[in-house]
Amino acid sequence: MADAITVPQVQPVQPAMRFMRVIPGVLLLATVGYSGKLLEQNVGAYAKAHHWTFPNIEYVLWAIILGLVISNTVGVPEIFRTGVATYEFWLKAGIVLLGARFLLGDILKLGGVSLVLVAIEITGAIAFMTFLGRVFHLKPKLTSLLAVGSAVCGVSAIIATKGAIEADDEDSSFSIAAILALGALALFTFPVIGHFLHLSDRVYGLWAGLAVDNTAEATAAGALYSDAAAKLAVLIKSTRNAMIGFVVLAYAIYWASQGQAKSVGNKAAFLWQKFPKFVLGFLMISVVATYHFFNKEQLGALGNLSRWAFLLTFAGVGLRTNFSDMRKQGLRPFAVGAIGEVVIAGFTLALVYGAGKLFGW
Amino acid sequence: MSAELEAGKKESRWKLSLDTWAVLVAFLLALLVRTGVFKHIPW
Repeated sequence: MADAITVPQVQPVQPAMRFMRVIPGVLLLATVGYSGKLLEQNVGAYAKAHHWTFPNIEYVLWAIILGLVISNTVGVPEIFRTGVATYEFWLKAGIVLLGARFLLGDILKLGGVSLVLVAIEITGAIAFMTFLGRVFHLKPKLTSLLAVGSAVCGVSAIIATKGAIEADDEDSSFSIAAILALGALALFTFPVIGHFLHLSDRVYGLWAGLAVDNTAEATAAGALYSDAAAKLAVLIKSTRNAMIGFVVLAYAIYWASQGQAKSVGNKAAFLWQKFPKFVLGFLMISVVATYHFFNKEQLGALGNLSRWAFLLTFAGVGLRTNFSDMRKQGLRPFAVGAIGEVVIAGFTLALVYGAGKLFGW
Repeated sequence: MSAELEAGKKESRWKLSLDTWAVLVAFLLALLVRTGVFKHIPW
């Protein structure tokens, strides 16, 4: 029987068409990322040949700077945008592949310590951001989004929480803009502070993983310091990401109890839905690598594949950061985010220092 | 509810998340390295 109301037929985008749409942007990511790699190799050699004093700038920073220049001058044309947005896909694939470089024992050893540090960071960050939101008279749901964004994992956490607590689009745009702007700042400030304080790779990696909000920026901030720091930053950041479901569930229950959001029915299903699956992928690859599923040469190849995936990610971080778009979102949420981030960065640095002294790192 | 909407709902139930796609692609790449299809990945 025909329906009384005819529903307009939306033509679904064919998978082949969807695939074609991402190609220009992925090529742009590859071009920007590879140019960063070439600049790292050639600028250093050129400066050395001409006896110039020039700091060794890693491909990570070159790729981000090139992306930032394009995004904030000529802009990213529409045709590239779908493909540029895949940088998160490359990031997650890169993290899963990086799992091959971790032995399960290391993860369990570091995981125990990091779990405690992450729990302290999340509790402290949520409490402080909630307090700041009240002081600055921000809307309560905007405060919740900023708190989750800075405590757990940036943009993904904000998007997950927005749906769960039924926050406004405007509130989530504010929070995302603030978290992205502060993440971009962290890329330039964290390595400088790390070098200034002569932090070891381990202490710096732990700090970047705990304090930088977005996974892409945390990975980049680690890679700007050293490969070892990047590995640790990814591990700690993934531990934070794994907490996303619990934090979002707590917020959803709170706002439902206030009568301002739908109540959560099946809590286990909710947790599984919000759980970042790439963390499981990372652990699974690490388990098979620990049991010698890959030989030494294959482990090297997987490490390099992960680097190529990160190369596309770092280009994407620059290309999607547009400062004029961020400025339009207003100053107050940014100010709250900035104050919060500075305090959280100081707090987590003290935390990591303390843990370093305790465990003799 | 129209058949189209029903079909759309069914399709979205089976749609994989970005996370899951990333994991599957990474596993496939790891398998290709393990089986020797990709022998050496330069950097």
